[in-house]
Amino acid sequence: MNSTQPKRPFFDRLADMNETTLAALLLAPAFIFISIIVVYPVATLVWNSFNDVRLLTGAPSRWVGLENYALLLADAQFWRATKNTMIIVLVTVPGSLVVGLGLALLANMPFKWRGPIRLSLLLPWATPLAFVGLIFAWFFHSEYGVINDLLRRVGLAPQIWFNSPTLTMMAICIATIWKTSSFMALILLAGLQTIPKSLYEAADVDGASKWRQFTDITLPLLVPSMLVALIFRTLTAIQSFDIPYSMPGPGEETQTLAMYIHMNAVDYLDLGYSSALAVVMFGLSMATTFIYLRYVKADGK
Amino acid sequence: MSSTLNTGLGGGIFTGKRLRWFAAAIVLMNGFFPAMWILATAFKAEIELTAKPITWIPHSPTLNNFIAAFRDQPLPHYLLNSAIVALSAMALSLFISALAAYAIARLNLRHRGVILTSIIAVSMFPLVTLMVPLFEIMRGLGLLNSYWALVLPYTVLNLPICTLILVSFFQDIPRDLENAAMIDGCTRLGALWRIVVPLAAPGVFTAGILAFVNAWDEFLLALSFNSAAAYRTLPVGIQMYQGEFSFPWPTISAALVIAMIPVVVVILIFQERVVSGLTSGGLKG
Repeated sequence: MNSTQPKRPFFDRLADMNETTLAALLLAPAFIFISIIVVYPVATLVWNSFNDVRLLTGAPSRWVGLENYALLLADAQFWRATKNTMIIVLVTVPGSLVVGLGLALLANMPFKWRGPIRLSLLLPWATPLAFVGLIFAWFFHSEYGVINDLLRRVGLAPQIWFNSPTLTMMAICIATIWKTSSFMALILLAGLQTIPKSLYEAADVDGASKWRQFTDITLPLLVPSMLVALIFRTLTAIQSFDIPYSMPGPGEETQTLAMYIHMNAVDYLDLGYSSALAVVMFGLSMATTFIYLRYVKADGK
Repeated sequence: MSSTLNTGLGGGIFTGKRLRWFAAAIVLMNGFFPAMWILATAFKAEIELTAKPITWIPHSPTLNNFIAAFRDQPLPHYLLNSAIVALSAMALSLFISALAAYAIARLNLRHRGVILTSIIAVSMFPLVTLMVPLFEIMRGLGLLNSYWALVLPYTVLNLPICTLILVSFFQDIPRDLENAAMIDGCTRLGALWRIVVPLAAPGVFTAGILAFVNAWDEFLLALSFNSAAAYRTLPVGIQMYQGEFSFPWPTISAALVIAMIPVVVVILIFQERVVSGLTSGGLKG
C-alpha cells in the first residue's frame, strides 16, 4: 500500500507467524481466563472441602480429611436444604416443560402480529430472577396480594402464604415456573417450526385426529429440543437461589442448598464446610448431566 | 432460525379464529401480567394500596412512589454500577470469544472439537460452587467490593454462549472473501477485524445482547462479593428497600419499574436477535 514501508501494526506483524502458533495465541486469553475463574477455584474448592478453613477465627487452615463430609451427613439443616432443592427440581422442571410446551403450542398459531407474542415470551426470560422473586412475593402478600384477592373473589379462603413452609414452597415453585417456562417455550417453538408442514398434511389425508397428530408427530419430533432445554433447566433448578432468597418463608424452613452454601461461606466465613456442601452440589449437577447425556445418546440412535 | 412467519399448525390441535384470540390472550397475559401489576402498584397511593377489594387500575395515580424510590436508595448509582459491570463483561467476553471462535472456526487446528467442548464445559459448573472459592480468592486479592469482582467472573461465564454463537457465524462467512482480502494485502488478523467481524456483526450483536442480559441479571455473586453500597448492582440494590419488618411495596414496585426499563428497551429493539441467539444455542448445543 505504501512504498516507504512504515512500521506495520503490531497485530499484523503478529499474524505472520504460522497458523498453529496463531491459533494458540488466539485461544490463550479464553483459556487463561477459564483457568483463573473456573479451574483454579474448583481445585481450591475440592482442597478446601478436606480442610478446616474458618476465616472468622483467623486460625490457619488445617487438614481434616473427610470430617466436613461427615458433619454434612449428620447435619439436619443440610438435609432440609437438599430436600427443598429436590422439591424445586421435581416440581419446576416438569412444570416449566408442561407450561412451556403449552405456551409454545399457543404461540405457534398463525398470528398476524408476532411481535407482542414474542415479547411476552421474552419478558419473563429477561426479568432478573431476583426481581421475579420480589414480584411474586408481592403477588402472594397476605393482606394486599393479588393472589389472595383472587381467592377472595372466587370465595376461597385467603392464605398467609409466607407463614407456612409448604405454601412458601408452592409460591416459590410458581414463581420459578413462570420465570423459566417462557425460555422453554422459545426453545420448543424453534423446535416446532422445524417440523415439516407436509407431515401434518399427510396425516390429515390419512384422517388422523389432531390429538393423534400431536402425540405421534409433534411430541416425538420435539424430543431433541426438549432434552437440551431440560438439561439446562434441571441444572439451574439444582442451583435455585435468587427466587427462594427473595421469597423467604418462616425461619430457614425454605432454605435451598445454594442458600445454605451461601450462608456458610459469606455469613459464617466457614469455607471448609461450605466447600464440602458445594462439592455435593457439583456432584448432583454432574450426575444430572450424565443421566441426560445417556438419554441424548440413546435418542440419537 | 428462519422463523418469524410460520403458517404450520405445529401443535395441530388449535384451529379457528376465536381459539387463536384465546391463545394469544393467554400467552400475552402470562408474559405481561406481572409487569402490568407492578406498574399499577407503582402508581398507587398508600391509601389505595390498602383498599379491599384490590383496585386493578390506580384511581388517582401518583408519582410519590417514584420519588421515594430515588430518595430511599441511590437508585441511579445502582443503575450505573449495573451498566458498568454488564457492559464491561459484555465487551471483554465478546473480545475473548471472538479470538477463540476465529481460531476454532477458521484456523488449521487439531482437536477443534475438544477445544470447543472444554470452553462450553464452563457452563456445566454451578455458579454457587464457584462462588465459594472465588469469594476467598477475591477476598485475598482485596477485590471484594470492586467492579472487577463481578466483571471477571461474568466474562468467563459468558464465554461458552458467545463462543458457540460466534463459531457458527464465522463458519457461515465464505472463505473466499477473507482470501481475497489477504491477496489484497491484509494479513490474517487484519482480515479478521476488517472482513470477518463486520460480516459476522449479527452474530456479534446476538452474543453481545445475551452476555449483557446475563450479566445484568446476575444476583448471587453480586450479593456475595459486592455488599458495599458503592458497588451494589441493581438486583442486589432492589432488595435494600425492605426494612427488617417493613416491605414498602409501592416504593419497591416503582424501583422495579425503573430497573426494568433498560432490559425492556434491549428486548424491544433486539427481540429477533435475542430469540435467534437463545434458540441457536439450544438447538446446536
